[in-house]
Amino acid sequence: VSRRLPFVAELALLILAALVAAAVSNGIGPRERRLAWVRDYPDALTVPKKTAPALAPARVSPPASLPAAQPPKSGAGEAVSAAAPPEKAAAPHAAPPAPVREKAAPVPKKTAETPAPASPAPSGRDFTPHPDKPWVEIAPEEARALFDRGALFIDARRTSVYRDGHIARARSMAVWEADADDKVKAFYEEGHDSKAPIVVYCSGGDCEDSHQLAQKLYGAGFDAVFVYKDGFPDWQRRGWPVEKGEGK
Amino acid sequence: VKKLLLHPWLTVRVQIGLGLVFIVAAVPKIIDPPSFAHMIYNYRLLPGSAVNAFALVMPWIEILTGAALVLGVFVRTAAKAAGLLLLAFIFAIGANLARDNAVQCGCFDVHAAEKTHGELLGEMRGVVFRDAALGLLVAQILASAGRTEPASSREK
Repeated sequence: VSRRLPFVAELALLILAALVAAAVSNGIGPRERRLAWVRDYPDALTVPKKTAPALAPARVSPPASLPAAQPPKSGAGEAVSAAAPPEKAAAPHAAPPAPVREKAAPVPKKTAETPAPASPAPSGRDFTPHPDKPWVEIAPEEARALFDRGALFIDARRTSVYRDGHIARARSMAVWEADADDKVKAFYEEGHDSKAPIVVYCSGGDCEDSHQLAQKLYGAGFDAVFVYKDGFPDWQRRGWPVEKGEGK
Repeated sequence: VKKLLLHPWLTVRVQIGLGLVFIVAAVPKIIDPPSFAHMIYNYRLLPGSAVNAFALVMPWIEILTGAALVLGVFVRTAAKAAGLLLLAFIFAIGANLARDNAVQCGCFDVHAAEKTHGELLGEMRGVVFRDAALGLLVAQILASAGRTEPASSREK
C-alpha cells in the first residue's frame, strides 16, 4: 500500500499551510502592509470603460446657476462634468446607503479647520455639495482653486508613496491598507463639515483609489467630495506646492 | 532524446529552476499584500469580497510550491500545484487580453508602473508565452516522476 497521500489531500495540506502562513504574516506585518481579509470592492468584476483623455483643460463650464443637487442628466451631465460618477457608483443613494452613512446622520459640528463656503472657481463651478452622487471629478485648475481656499486634500495612495511626496497639507488615507475604514471613521469623528469641499486624489491615469476613497467618504456622510483625477503626478508637473514626509 | 529529456540530472535542475521562479515571484507579494490585492482587483475576475483573501493566501501557495520543488519534497504534488497556478495565470491574463483590459501582470513586481495600454497588452502576451514555457517545465517534472514512480514504489 502506497504511503503517498492522494494529490487532493496533499494539495489541501498545501493550501492549509498557506492559510496559516498568510494569517501569521498578515498579523505580524507592519500596519501599512496589512490587508483586511475581507473587504468588498463593488466594481471588482466590472471591466473599466476606456475613457477619452480625462479632463481636458478647456472644459465646458457649468452654468453658475446650476443647482447643486440637480440629478445628473445623461449627455448634458457629462458635458458639464466629464466627471460624474457612473450611475452604478451612485447606487448607494438610490439603494439603502452604506451603514456608516446611516450612522453619520447627525450633522457634524464645524471645526476651525473647515474652509469657508467655496465661492465660484475660475471655471465657474461653485463646488457646492452634491448629495446625489459620491463624487465629482474636477480639473487641475479647480483643484488648485480649492487648494488656495484651504480645502482639505486627502491622498488615497499607499502611505509609503505619500511619504515620498504629496500635495502640501494633504493628509494620508491609503485606501488599500487595512486601516482605511478606521481612518475614514476617525476622520468623520473629527467633526468636519460634511458640506465643505474635500479633494481626494491618487496617481492619475487609470488610478481608481481616489474614487474608492470618495465612495467611502460619501458613505460616511460627506457630500462634497471632489476627485482630482489627474492626481499627484499632474500637480507635481505643474510645480504646485508639494511636501514630503509623514504629513498629517 | 526522450531518455535525455527525462534524465534525473535534468529533472533536478528543472525542479530547482522552476521552484526558484515561484519563490522569487512570491516574495514581493508577501512583502506587500495591499499592492498585490490592488493588482488582483485590476484583473476584474474575482468577486470583490475574495480579492483580499486571495491576495494574502496565493503568494504563500506559490512560495510553498517553490520550496517543495527546490527541496525535492512532495515533488509531484508541488509540480501539479505549479501547473494549476500557471493555468490560472494564463487564464487570468488571457481573459483580460480577450476583453482588451490592459493590466499589469503583478507576477514579479507588485508596484504600479506607468505604461501605456499598448505596452501592457504586449507585456501580457509575453506573460502568456512565458507561463506556457514554464508549463513545459512542469510537464518535464511530472513525466520524469512518472518514469521513476515504479522504481520508488518497488523500494517501498
